[in-house]
Amino acid sequence: MPTPALKITDLRKVYRSGNVAVDGLSLTVAEGDFFGFLGPNGAGKSTTIHCVTGIAEPSGGTIEIFGVDAVKNYREARRLVGLCTQEFNVDPFATPRQIVDWMGGYFGMGAAERKSRIDYLMERFELGPHEKKAFRELSGGLKRRVVLARALVNDPKLLILDEPTAGVDVELRRVLWRYLREINSDGRTILLTSHYLEEVERLCRNIAIVAKGKIVRQGTKDEIAGAPGGLENAYLAATGAEPDHVAGQ
Amino acid sequence: MQDTTKPLGINWIGLGTIVRREVSRMMRVPIQAFVAPWISALLFIFIFGFIVGGRMPMIGGHKYIQFVLPGVLMLNIVNASFLQSSSAIYFSRFLRFIEETLVSPMSYVEMIAGSLAVVVVRSTVTAIGILVIGIAFGATKIYSIPEFLFWVVAVSAIFGLLGIVIGLWAKSFEQLNMLTVFFITPLSMVGGVFNTIAMLPPWMRWMAYGNPFFYFINGIRHSMLGYSEVSQTLGYGLTITALVVMFLWVLRLYAKGYGLRE
Repeated sequence: MPTPALKITDLRKVYRSGNVAVDGLSLTVAEGDFFGFLGPNGAGKSTTIHCVTGIAEPSGGTIEIFGVDAVKNYREARRLVGLCTQEFNVDPFATPRQIVDWMGGYFGMGAAERKSRIDYLMERFELGPHEKKAFRELSGGLKRRVVLARALVNDPKLLILDEPTAGVDVELRRVLWRYLREINSDGRTILLTSHYLEEVERLCRNIAIVAKGKIVRQGTKDEIAGAPGGLENAYLAATGAEPDHVAGQ
Repeated sequence: MQDTTKPLGINWIGLGTIVRREVSRMMRVPIQAFVAPWISALLFIFIFGFIVGGRMPMIGGHKYIQFVLPGVLMLNIVNASFLQSSSAIYFSRFLRFIEETLVSPMSYVEMIAGSLAVVVVRSTVTAIGILVIGIAFGATKIYSIPEFLFWVVAVSAIFGLLGIVIGLWAKSFEQLNMLTVFFITPLSMVGGVFNTIAMLPPWMRWMAYGNPFFYFINGIRHSMLGYSEVSQTLGYGLTITALVVMFLWVLRLYAKGYGLRE
């Protein structure tokens, strides 16, 4: 059996406040998959991603990235991953080129390698005319492109996207979709969280739905979205929310 | 795709990137970083050299301004190093861009070393600037350059590490300044900047010997004037011990994720 890109077993995260954000979550993402990770706000999606990438400390369970333990062998594991965060966690006075360049540096990329990769990403995301402006001066859509370029600078084997198209216009969303499909077909594994069900339906082959820190439904897109009412009804049923026709009564 | 089969050694490029990032941040405020301490040193030279200094007795064969200036230089090193690291860590936590290094394959030692390298650069530039100003105005001299560099680097590293601890702990700007207000400024002022131990009443002298700033100020004064009030070996021993203890403390905080990870 091939090594999965991501294997999470019985993950638990309890914050100091006592809030149980993730409660025994297990998940396997195969190499090369485009995996949708859905759930309502506060379900534990971002916390799970934070535990995988080192932003949060798991309280229990194990995480393996391409077979490498993400806690015990964190340096080896992290060089395999790129993370596009939901929030703009950047130095607001830095320029897009600096932000992407520094990230490449943290990953140990040499100056020449960084330059050619950044030139490519600036062109690909049409950031060239804005690359010397301070991040805080950019529009929301441009900021989103910068954090995506930053996530891609090390050309990761596993790309984790936490609501990458939130607040992005339709045009850019389609550009991003095209690019994500392209890098997925090149062999990168992608884990995507999104509140846009249409986006997940268009891009992902496998889907997991999380609620109250646990996986409540998991399967292929056809298994989950194939039933009457599509992905939206499956999502609402799995998360315990009421579909429109019920809520409207 | 990147080659992830190469074994991970020391990430010198990552370490250098932290230095580049922090130097870039520091150069956004060059007046605060460098010009302010140099102007402060000039004012001390003017007041203690020309106004008050002429009325003060010689101390150990040195003019009063020569006695005071090493302490002024040490105060500036302490403030520069503490401010540099505490504000760097606090702002990167506050704006969450510390997550950039947390998700990267950098070790904790590399992260700490990168932050400290910038602290040492800022303090050394500040110190050399004050030294040059002092020499230009005849207010100081240099007795031993290696000794001078030891005290600048060691003390800036100690306060850089202390700044990291406070930067990790602080939850507000007010807390960020608490250590400066209640610990650094009072202890440095009574740590022998303006007076010798012999000038203190006998019952107060034990307080000076128990004040770490006394050893730092005495050490750098010896490197500039060759004048010391206490054994140099004791000063070196205490300083190196403090440096090692602080480093191990900060390393432990990083490994635990204190103030860094949710």
